[in-house]
Amino acid sequence: MDHFSLKRSNAPDRGNSNLSSKVYVRSTKSGKVQKIVRELYLRQDIPCSSNLCRACLDIAPKDYTNKTASFVLSDTPAGSKNFPNGQYLVPDTNAFLTGMDLFEVETAFHDVIVLQTVLEEVKNRSLPLYHRLVALTKNEGKRFYVFFNEFRQETYISRGTGETINDRNDRAVRQAVQWYNTHIKEAIKARSKKQMRIPSVVMITDDRDNLRKAKAESIPAIKLSDFVSGLENADELLDMISAAQDQREVRSKQTEVFYPEHYSISKMMTGVKAGTMHQGIFNVSPYNYLEGSVHVPTFDKSLLVLGRENGNRAVSGDVVVVEVLPTDQWKAPSTKIIEEETLNKNDNAEIEDGETITSERERKALQEEVKRAHGQSSEGKPQPTARVVGIVKRNWRQYVGHIDQGSVRSTSKSSRQQQMVFLVPMDKRVPKIRIRTRQAGELLGQRVLATIDSWERNSRYPMGHFVRSLGELESKGAETEALLLEWDVQYKPFPKTVLDCLPAEGHDWKVPASTDDPGWKGRRDLRDLLVCSIDPPGCVDIDDALHARQLPNGNFEVGVHIADVSHFVKPNNAMDKEASQRGTTVYLVDKRIDMLPMLLGTDLCSLKPYVERYAFSVLWEVTPDADIVSAHFTKSVIRSREAFSYEQAQIRIDDDSHQDELTNGMRTLLMLSKKLKQKRYDAGALNLASPEVKVQTESETSDPVDVQTKKLLDTNSLVEEFMLLANISVAAKNYEAFPQTALLRRHAAPPKTNFEELSNQLKVKKGLELRSDSSKAVADSLDQCTDANEPFFNTLVRIMATRCMMSAEYFCAGTQAYPEFRHYGLASEIYTHFTSPIRRYADLEAHRQLAAAIDYEPLDASLQSKSKLEGVCKNINVRHRNAQMAGRASIEYYVGQALKGKDINEDGFVMKIFSNGFVVFVPRFGIESLIRLRDLAAPEPEAEFDAENYVLKIKGDVQRNIELFEKVTVRITDEVEESTGKRKVKLTLV
Amino acid sequence: MTTAGKIVNNEIHLQSIHHQQTQPHQLHPPEHSDGEPETKKQEMPLDTSTYSLALLRLDGRRWNELRRIHAQINTQAAADGSSYLEMGNTKVLCTVTGPAEGRQAGQRGAKDNEAKVEVEIGFAGFSGLERRKRKSDKRTLEMQHTLSTAYSSLLLTHLYPHSTITLTLHILSQDGSMLAACINASTLALIDAGIPMSDYLVACTAASSATTSDSDNSDPLLDLNNLEEQELPFLTVGTLGRSDKVSVLICESRVRMERMESMLAVGIDGCKRMREILDGVVKEYGKRFS
Ligand SMILES: [Zn+2]
Repeated sequence: MDHFSLKRSNAPDRGNSNLSSKVYVRSTKSGKVQKIVRELYLRQDIPCSSNLCRACLDIAPKDYTNKTASFVLSDTPAGSKNFPNGQYLVPDTNAFLTGMDLFEVETAFHDVIVLQTVLEEVKNRSLPLYHRLVALTKNEGKRFYVFFNEFRQETYISRGTGETINDRNDRAVRQAVQWYNTHIKEAIKARSKKQMRIPSVVMITDDRDNLRKAKAESIPAIKLSDFVSGLENADELLDMISAAQDQREVRSKQTEVFYPEHYSISKMMTGVKAGTMHQGIFNVSPYNYLEGSVHVPTFDKSLLVLGRENGNRAVSGDVVVVEVLPTDQWKAPSTKIIEEETLNKNDNAEIEDGETITSERERKALQEEVKRAHGQSSEGKPQPTARVVGIVKRNWRQYVGHIDQGSVRSTSKSSRQQQMVFLVPMDKRVPKIRIRTRQAGELLGQRVLATIDSWERNSRYPMGHFVRSLGELESKGAETEALLLEWDVQYKPFPKTVLDCLPAEGHDWKVPASTDDPGWKGRRDLRDLLVCSIDPPGCVDIDDALHARQLPNGNFEVGVHIADVSHFVKPNNAMDKEASQRGTTVYLVDKRIDMLPMLLGTDLCSLKPYVERYAFSVLWEVTPDADIVSAHFTKSVIRSREAFSYEQAQIRIDDDSHQDELTNGMRTLLMLSKKLKQKRYDAGALNLASPEVKVQTESETSDPVDVQTKKLLDTNSLVEEFMLLANISVAAKNYEAFPQTALLRRHAAPPKTNFEELSNQLKVKKGLELRSDSSKAVADSLDQCTDANEPFFNTLVRIMATRCMMSAEYFCAGTQAYPEFRHYGLASEIYTHFTSPIRRYADLEAHRQLAAAIDYEPLDASLQSKSKLEGVCKNINVRHRNAQMAGRASIEYYVGQALKGKDINEDGFVMKIFSNGFVVFVPRFGIESLIRLRDLAAPEPEAEFDAENYVLKIKGDVQRNIELFEKVTVRITDEVEESTGKRKVKLTLV
Repeated sequence: MTTAGKIVNNEIHLQSIHHQQTQPHQLHPPEHSDGEPETKKQEMPLDTSTYSLALLRLDGRRWNELRRIHAQINTQAAADGSSYLEMGNTKVLCTVTGPAEGRQAGQRGAKDNEAKVEVEIGFAGFSGLERRKRKSDKRTLEMQHTLSTAYSSLLLTHLYPHSTITLTLHILSQDGSMLAACINASTLALIDAGIPMSDYLVACTAASSATTSDSDNSDPLLDLNNLEEQELPFLTVGTLGRSDKVSVLICESRVRMERMESMLAVGIDGCKRMREILDGVVKEYGKRFS
């Protein structure tokens, strides 16, 4: 390199004072540490964004379209006890980490400056909190302004030698607060000569050292809790500060340790790499809160994690690393029902002293388990058992529950004394949460929302804090909101930005009369076709309509017409974003939480009868044997002739006096659908039963009056067959057009081991064989699983078989090999969802892809990116499952309400047997309930559990054997639980 | 309602895992994304999505600002032509050899009656960031090809039949806009070598800023650093002389058509400013030796 010296580039002339650099360290997967040097351009044109300041207006940045963002911070900010002239708040990182719930309160905490330093730290500490913080900055009413202090020359500081990153960042925050105070003062001086009140710019921090330094530098600063104390509703607000900070202060006093220390991250990484440790998601059994399992990639079967100590502070859903225990500590999975609520009723939320991690009762329960497992070890039943050694990622969310009455010291409603209480989560897999509150008396008997903040080694239970009350236990409002929260259903009304995306004409929107209108471009006029819709009674969001007519060549033309939602919902606008977040419409017994605003769902998109509607049509030519000759896809305009309910359609088809074209069309559809169905079954499609229960409500009060299991008519399956056919046809078309990005739905074949237990149960109890080598084998052998004396037995087996299946999932074509596309349950090699775009986001995406595949319109970029689509799939998979669970929970609640005060005997079937109880399924109500031995008699009768033969031999006065699959009569009553004041459906044996 | 977790001291990724609530009877093995393994994150900066918060990019620039440009000409006396160029932390050294008579046997691709332009790009071991082995080779080959094609048509090659002009580029540090930096450095070195060309070729990158969940607005961004290139769709544009004539246009990412126009506009504008800067460097050098 001859005479050229690299020194040149480091010469002082380039060391502009407005250029700095920042070094980030990151380690790669291979364990190497990398230094990344990044340039920082320091500038003086970053505005303060206060409406008090005029100087900054001149320097406010303009975007490409020459627009300037309006200033955020109010010129008359609210004041408080300590800052009567008003304040702009500058919280530090920990203030957001511990108090995010507070900052989100609509009635307090306005005019907040979020420093870049803080935003960056929050992001590094917790992504969910970071996203919530960013959402706050976009909420106009809250007036949160992100000030990029690290880029402004006056507020940028470099790290001193020997200064820790934390100290440097604290100093950066103080520097920014100081600058702001000076700047605001000058701004006001420049504005008027008159005396004006000058708001303070206040740092919020709980760090003592930081507070002390601020004081020394005369920078306004205050503790979060002190600031809140100066506000109205201080008590409520104070409860929302994370408990973690209180704990930090008392930590030094406590020495008792309940749990082993978690391994360091690097130790876990090494272990996982070496294969001596395993990573997976921690799942807790809904029947036994002390039994967890972790499915890890290395093994087919899940590893068991038994007991609280081995669980080592993992909460169901967390991503953990486990270590397999020595073989002599392996155990069989529990055959016993263990519920936290009953076992640890007497634990004290306040005091932890002297108690060990497992309470006496828990220990006893565990010992029995061990004994039992040892007794059976000769059969090789014990399973690999592991313990949690560390937590990779917490998956904590907000939990709905109620306050454990026993844990409340002072139940007086007026007491404002702070006390520690237990919150018992609705989700039985989640441990009790210790909560510090001043409102214990008021919260009793309420549905309460809380979060977990931390779980330290010295605390038997996790610590959390109260978020808000949903209302009285058992009240419809509170219970409905509770289940929506538990299943993370977005139920708030659509924001204005979403409603702004709706057509301006509102309900007056019509299909343009002139076919020259751009709306008609590329659409086929199918208004002459005799189309009708068939749906459940009272359906207002009609996604689909059908028609069939004979062709001159003797074949049939069959059309499925789907609401053209993608015409109204354009990719990436606010409405689309909201729908993509919601993922699906959620149906509760008395409530529907829409994915799209009502105007679209129930009117403009809905294929209502007698009016013209845009549709996306699939047209097939079908032979009389229901073989598909061709499929054709087109955007269209249709006019439905009638909206039938399943029952109305059935009656009309069955009534020979109707010989009109429309009815004959439906008869054709019915005839073809039966053939299609037979073909599917021949190919190995499964007919899996799930108990569908219908709750009849009186429309006025929506109080339940009766519960019935749903009846299925031929017309149900008519619609279903053609929807399946449309979905399959569209899947193939989209895949052909977009082999990488087609959004499809797959259903994986269940691993053989999934059927082991059921197959053994059928063999032992009924001498029946369940073959599982293919879906066809499963389907055929399920058909053989009958009991001549008990027609319901077959359904019961189907219900149980359903639970051995994997769940179907959406995926992006490029992420799987073609054989993996297969839909096991439907026995189709490819499948997608196309037919319900009003209520499922996946269908809307499929519409967009299909529209591009037939060259109707270009494909949006978001539908071309595999990674974006994977994100969409991931979200809608979760939403789909949550919606189902929420729907089920809603039915459960209403069934419970319908049974209130009743005392009925009903038939039930034994589905599962434990050593201290069994599960009974009651077909009439679709309920599944535990009957524990102690429910049968007091004191709890002794029993002998014959696990090999699935028999529970109950001794004493009861003197009775309970066998798997047995039909029993149960008495259904409801009782008030003493500890919670909650009503519960109770089943006993008759 | 979000159900966010809290206090995540030990939130790390050992493997990338899709979180799902598993039902007891529906155990899914954790899925691995087939993309790149997620790296463990410590002390990482914000990402490009924060641009919309205050119209500031990750390094403090506005949408239409170039990074600091530093350039020198005739850095190696022994070479026929040489230059050194920094665009932010992207640092490139360029030497020109030739036009040299003769060619190696078996070389194809260039007509005999004009000079062949050969380009070699090498990376210093410390040039930074993960060097992906196979991929970098392919990308380097593509860059070499782009440069060679662009200069073959630009240099008056017919003046040097049967000869070869070799451009050797040495990347000392990478921080985005690699191809643009190579073009700019080559132009300077070729001027230094005194090889006649019809016009200056200068280049810049431009991207389209990330959109947010509540707005679809996006600004075109000029002169990308490495982090921006990784997260945003971008293009490299090279223009000739004082004209807006585009001579090089490379876009390897998917860009929405409607964004392309503003990206090109800001890129071409950047080229103009780049040309002024390089012009200054050449004139300054000229002054010293006149
Ligand atoms: Zn200002």
